[in-house]
Amino acid sequence: MRRLGAVITSALVIGIGLLTVAGLVVGGDLGWLSAIVEAFRIRDISSIFLQLATITAATTILIGILNLLVVHLRRVGRREKGWGYSLLLVLSALAVIVLAVLERAGVLKGEPALTTILFESVQVSIESALAGLVLFALVFGAYRLMRRGVSWPKLLFVLALLLVLLAALPLSAPGLLTSARDWLLAVPVSAGARGILLGIALATVVTGVRVLIGLDRSYRE
Amino acid sequence: MNAEQIGLWAGFVFTLMIFSYILGDNILYRLAVYVFAGLAAGYITLVTVEGVLLPWLRGTLLSPGAVGVGGQILGIVPFVLGLLLLLKGSPRLGPLGNLAIAFIVAVGTAVALVGAITGTLLPLAAATGSSVRIDLVNGFLIFIGVSSTLVYFQYLARRQPGGEIRRGLVVRAIGALGQGVVVVTLGAIYAGAILTSLTIFSERIGFILARITGG
Repeated sequence: MRRLGAVITSALVIGIGLLTVAGLVVGGDLGWLSAIVEAFRIRDISSIFLQLATITAATTILIGILNLLVVHLRRVGRREKGWGYSLLLVLSALAVIVLAVLERAGVLKGEPALTTILFESVQVSIESALAGLVLFALVFGAYRLMRRGVSWPKLLFVLALLLVLLAALPLSAPGLLTSARDWLLAVPVSAGARGILLGIALATVVTGVRVLIGLDRSYRE
Repeated sequence: MNAEQIGLWAGFVFTLMIFSYILGDNILYRLAVYVFAGLAAGYITLVTVEGVLLPWLRGTLLSPGAVGVGGQILGIVPFVLGLLLLLKGSPRLGPLGNLAIAFIVAVGTAVALVGAITGTLLPLAAATGSSVRIDLVNGFLIFIGVSSTLVYFQYLARRQPGGEIRRGLVVRAIGALGQGVVVVTLGAIYAGAILTSLTIFSERIGFILARITGG
């Protein structure tokens, strides 16, 4: 029975995956392939699959959030270490949801809405502060880099880092520094970024093809 | 004091609580982070329900006249798949959850595959090729940089007579060049991250000063 289930799962992945690829890729100028796609309305089927996957993903997000709240409520119920923080998390989440429900029901009125104020003033403030805090971690990381021995990749890394940082200084006569930074960003950095992106894309294609032809079946575990 | 002003002061207090982490991990920082996680969970719930689930329900289950029985059945499918995922925790019914995983993996793989080819591989390969036509010297350097980076990422090697596995001299040399290009790229990206966080940090300092001075 378990084996049959595994076969059905693999067949589902291969069938749905290939139909979705066909619907997304095949255009109107590929001869008989386009005719098949048109005849069997594969583009419509592919579109339905995409919608179903999006809604399923949204459902899983809700399940995840529900799980988060249940886990923290359990911590509060058992008075585990740090239960106060958990209570705060649950109350914050519920506050947003309750406020939104009251606003949609027309009980809470006012412009801008309370949920908008809460988002722009508190949520964005905390997000920005956390992003600002990253500065210290990054600078400290760069400082520590050279402390464990010097190698040519580390040296290149620090040189590129310093060049970009120094060229960002508001100097009165930037000249050479700015030109060097511009060239660095336009040529080696652009090449490296393209190489990394191409590498990621190639790896995605290889893994995708392996999944679609049934060689990679990790989803059955 | 109206709701907006209270919100601004709350933002001020939470910013200071987050920045207190500079002195080390402490209760104020943790309080702010838990509030942040709670608010984020709340907003994600709102966006998911109002932006994705409700429009879907209105278009399928809640409008039987427009979509018919087929459309209504289709409307239930993602929720059934979501419930099947919950069964993954059960040793007996767990395999049923694999059906939902299989569906998400199949569509996700197809989208990733098509996205990687049409969104990254073809445009970047074309841009790298055309950069040689636009500027011969720099275009050629970009081409060398991209090629050597890709060589650096491959791990094909030959087994030596002594059993040792080594890459060929040419591949190693090109790979070393590729490593240099990758390192320079990461250094520049790191510098960009520092500059971005510095900008955000100074904006937050400006916000704190404005609150204190009443600006």
